[in-house]
Amino acid sequence: MNSDIEEIVFDEAALQQRVREIAEEINEEYQGKALLLVGILKGCMYFLADLIRHLTIPISLDFMSISTYGFSTEKTGVVRILKDLEKPIENQHVLIVEDIVDTGLTLGYLLKMLKERAPLSLRVCALLDKSSYRIMRVPLDYRGFELGRRFVVGYGLDYQERYRHLPFVCVLKKEICPL
Amino acid sequence: MKNSEESQSHFAHKSEEDFAKILDFYQIRWEYEPHAFPIAWDKKGNVIERFTPDFYLPEMDLYIELTTLKQKLVTKKNRKVRLLRELYPQINLKIFYGKDYRTLLMKYGIEGEASNR
Repeated sequence: MNSDIEEIVFDEAALQQRVREIAEEINEEYQGKALLLVGILKGCMYFLADLIRHLTIPISLDFMSISTYGFSTEKTGVVRILKDLEKPIENQHVLIVEDIVDTGLTLGYLLKMLKERAPLSLRVCALLDKSSYRIMRVPLDYRGFELGRRFVVGYGLDYQERYRHLPFVCVLKKEICPL
Repeated sequence: MKNSEESQSHFAHKSEEDFAKILDFYQIRWEYEPHAFPIAWDKKGNVIERFTPDFYLPEMDLYIELTTLKQKLVTKKNRKVRLLRELYPQINLKIFYGKDYRTLLMKYGIEGEASNR
């Protein structure tokens, strides 16, 4: 597996340090409030798991998954929810947790949909920001790192469903991933 | 001018058709090549060169240019983009170069196999 790696972009120490910093910000800003964290599957899981272990405020967790264009059974269809939240979010403080935000299309769709459910507040926390790819303007209230244009894997991010479990964020060798 | 209201639009390139499908999937309104911006004039003031971004997304007031060309042609296009930005600084234009575009296609499951990131 390590022989597939070209370069480590964010190592374990850098990731854990930044996750701690983000958690401290969240603890401070949501002090005295209960927070529902909504993880967007599948990429969020490592980031979310590490993040919540540093949170000291009362939290609850839920997850969502939405369809991706090319993986839909109907190519002419529109985006749809594969896994919805288990409970209503009305009058709750909600924080969406994403591994990476690039075009903002998925996040924009989610924000629009969740706003209609009348949460008390709705904010976004993303580990990685590929802002040069942004099409839809979306607010990132908490952001781990700006990524630039690189295609990365690890710490939840995959290439053909592989490499999610790597404890760091890295670039793959060109012969493995030509992007 | 083609737009998201029409089905089975005809595009100059397959990449543009794929991109339009992604926008449709996310219910983003788009227009295909709706505006041609003059970027060069002769001494008499006649327009001798225009730049026509591939897409306009009215909800975001954003133009999108897809560049899947070879590097030599990319350089030519970059010159046009630079002129557009100088002459029309109020225009929001996003360019997706070949590698960026392939990354997007992969992410959205159009080229190769990627997952629901």
